[in-house]
Amino acid sequence: MITTRRGILSLAAGVAAGAWARPSFAAGEPIAIGAAIPTTGPLSLSGKQYFNTLTMAEEDINKSGGINGRPIKFVIEDTGTSNSTAVSAFVKLVQDTKPPFVFLSSYSTQNLATAPEVVKAGIPVMYAGGAVAVSASSNGWMFRIRPTDSLAAHGMAQFAKILKATKPGIMYIQNDFGQGGAQAAAKQLEAAGVTPVGSEAYGQNDKDYSAQLLRLREKGADVILTFVYPADGALLLRQIKALGLKTPVIASSASFLPASVQLLSPADLVNVWGVIDTFVDASVGGRMADFVTRYKAKFGQDGDAYGLAYYDGALILAEGLRKVGTDPKALRDWIASQKAWDGIGQTFSFDQEGNGVHGVAVVKAKPGTKTLELVERLKLG
Amino acid sequence: MADLIQLLTNGLALGSIYALTAIGFVIVYSATGVVNFAAGQFVMVGTFAGVATLVNAGWPMPVGYIGALVVMALFGALFYLIVYLPLRASPIVTVIIGTVAIGITIQNMALLTFGSWPFPVPSPFDGMMIDLGGTVISAHAIAVVIATGVLILLLWLLMHRTAIGIAMRAVAQDVKVARLMGLRVQWLLAFTWILAAVMAGIAGLMLGPMWFADVNMGDPIALKAFAATVIGGFGSLPGAIAGGFFVGLAEVLGASYVSSAYKDLIAFGVMILFLLFRPQGIFGEKIQDRG
Repeated sequence: MITTRRGILSLAAGVAAGAWARPSFAAGEPIAIGAAIPTTGPLSLSGKQYFNTLTMAEEDINKSGGINGRPIKFVIEDTGTSNSTAVSAFVKLVQDTKPPFVFLSSYSTQNLATAPEVVKAGIPVMYAGGAVAVSASSNGWMFRIRPTDSLAAHGMAQFAKILKATKPGIMYIQNDFGQGGAQAAAKQLEAAGVTPVGSEAYGQNDKDYSAQLLRLREKGADVILTFVYPADGALLLRQIKALGLKTPVIASSASFLPASVQLLSPADLVNVWGVIDTFVDASVGGRMADFVTRYKAKFGQDGDAYGLAYYDGALILAEGLRKVGTDPKALRDWIASQKAWDGIGQTFSFDQEGNGVHGVAVVKAKPGTKTLELVERLKLG
Repeated sequence: MADLIQLLTNGLALGSIYALTAIGFVIVYSATGVVNFAAGQFVMVGTFAGVATLVNAGWPMPVGYIGALVVMALFGALFYLIVYLPLRASPIVTVIIGTVAIGITIQNMALLTFGSWPFPVPSPFDGMMIDLGGTVISAHAIAVVIATGVLILLLWLLMHRTAIGIAMRAVAQDVKVARLMGLRVQWLLAFTWILAAVMAGIAGLMLGPMWFADVNMGDPIALKAFAATVIGGFGSLPGAIAGGFFVGLAEVLGASYVSSAYKDLIAFGVMILFLLFRPQGIFGEKIQDRG
């Protein structure tokens, strides 16, 4: 125990020096921000990424001084797998926490169900689902931080042309996301003078796709465009190889999430291209390398583009809160005014419908490996 | 023709899994009168027992498979002790709701333990394809069908040619009389749960390489296996087998020759028709009151 005057003075000096050397941590009453995201059930496969990146963003924002000295705190409610749970989660956040801003799920069906409540609550939200219908019902309060499905479909159709495909087939999950993507891709392909030879659907709980794939083979598809969720996207690629199909595949972003790629062998990824949001890889360098490295160190798994969208969204929000405070309308107007916000994964430019992302990237696995490489970036919006 | 062979193989492999899960439904229902709505989660636990032994522990395949089945036997015994025994005197609805609740609990425990990312599960036939003049068939799918056939044969031998099997059938027919005949009913009921869990474990180990190990994989299996059980006849082992293969084939062939969007309508539509016009199923007896 230190009892001498010199000892006490040394200790006080040490504490003072330590406080000076530490980064400026935020203090005071936290600003509570809502996040209604899926943390249980099948959708938690991607929801866990948002949970992780929002946790990471909270720490980073607070370490760098918070919101003008006040810490930020993300209050998370689980949207589960159903639309009604998603609506309840949002309403609970609004009533209990009264946040100036909420992050929503990346699942369009949940966001479509929640949209009327968002408008009623009159607070801005960010979401990551791709269905075009969501922005149409947002009334200016909803901001999308991932590409729209039609944008991704546009990219896939454009890349099918680059591959010189003349008989594309489409395979999609039977929900708003899959149907919307498949229709948008078919429209883009037809506009380019290429008519899809077939369009096959599968249910969200289906695990065998052989019938649909063999039908596309029978129709002579020379490329297959897939609109999938993560686990079924991986299973689909594996079954394509198991059926001996050599047809090239252009897959939507979920097939190339780390959660999906870890399920596959290098052979499963031969002749497969992915149209993804952004190339999340340390080789990009700069802030991306820092994000990728820190995420892996913190959570023990690779971060993905969906999670990164929420991290970038949190940083946009933090800057908005610092500049205009917690008034929901002022915050909404500030976010809507951002035209070239430089995030880690994207440069966000919000249009009149609240869509912030206007480009996609095409990736492919390096031969004989599961390491992804960037093929090209497509600026579409 | 090439397509048909591939579809039949996949349909039979899928049907095998449904059949094994449906057998689990039937042997528990016959012996205890309980419709185990956690049956799908039993299969999921079986797959993750394989993940634990084969992937996480890195045991060689034969040892890993045996280890996973020992885990499943213990799981069946625990389920009997913790879920069935405390609830056995309760109304049957309570027991059924109990199995639903424990199913959800098991699923969330798996989520907490293994996380939300699916796992690839190895198979002894990984990457092996059989090429029949341009028709490529997965060796694993063929192995699943053969293994299911062998298991069904072994189960028949157990039930009809061993003392324990005959005693189980006696309990299934009339618990009171079985007890009066001096049979150790509680031990036999425990063995029934263990057998159901091991069957589900085998289904899970065979299913893992086909579907990946996913904590949410139990529900779709349970739904299809339930349809298979209703179609085949609740309480009938041949019914469970026939129903399982019917649902598997209907799913794959229906998607190919009818519509991929409405393929589930075939299996569930047939199930509804059976419930309306032949509730005892194909092989079930008309009167199934237990003694």
